[in-house]
Amino acid sequence: MKIKLVSVPVDNQEKALDFYTQKLNFIKKIDIPVGGGNRWLTVVAMEEQDGVELLLEPIPIEFEPAKVYQKALFDEGLPYTQFNVDDVQKEYDRLINLGVEFSVKPTEMGTTKLAVFDDTCGNYIQIVEILE
Amino acid sequence: MKRYQKELQRIKENCYSNQWQIDTVIGLRNYISNNFSEKLNLNLFSRVRLVSKYHLLRLFKRYYGQTPNQYLIDKRVEEAKLCIQNGLSVSDSCYAVGFESLSSFSSLFKKKTGITPRAYQKSNFR
Repeated sequence: MKIKLVSVPVDNQEKALDFYTQKLNFIKKIDIPVGGGNRWLTVVAMEEQDGVELLLEPIPIEFEPAKVYQKALFDEGLPYTQFNVDDVQKEYDRLINLGVEFSVKPTEMGTTKLAVFDDTCGNYIQIVEILE
Repeated sequence: MKRYQKELQRIKENCYSNQWQIDTVIGLRNYISNNFSEKLNLNLFSRVRLVSKYHLLRLFKRYYGQTPNQYLIDKRVEEAKLCIQNGLSVSDSCYAVGFESLSSFSSLFKKKTGITPRAYQKSNFR
């Protein structure tokens, strides 16, 4: 058994694809229409294109609990997931210049440094750097 | 302040208040990361940082969740993958990253990646 896919729920797949590729520099990997205007849409990290895929998963319109859960996390500032970077401060500066909004500025937490930004699709995302 | 910011503050106060310990383990990880291909001298490192070797090992595990030796093996295997990708032979890769025996290299590589170094080499030159 292998882990090949993780997902983030997004309120608009086209907008999410734009954010995750244009701002975060991920690369679109799979894009298959699945009906109802939805797509099986995944992106990968540029440096690890054979690595784990991130599914930009549409929130089911008629399934209220999913929306409630995502909104509850967002309202409390809780990140939905996290990505690793080599240098949090550098990435923070780069994303700020692109207009990305952060809820947590670069902060040292023990042997890591982290920051949290708004992905504009309903989620907070944490970036983390292992200090050494 | 939102719940997550409060939670970060709580974790920082409860778990990460000893900056000396944090600096020490970050220093050790840096030492391993920069000297992975050498025979590591933890006695020297612990003398420089004025901390006993055993306390140092415990601290590292507490802050990074793995022992220095586990980290060293992960680091060497990752570097060996790069060596193989760059065209080095399996045995040259083994010694270049600091392993002393080809058989322990092969078994650790397989344990960490799921395939032997030879199979990894083949998969890179298909």
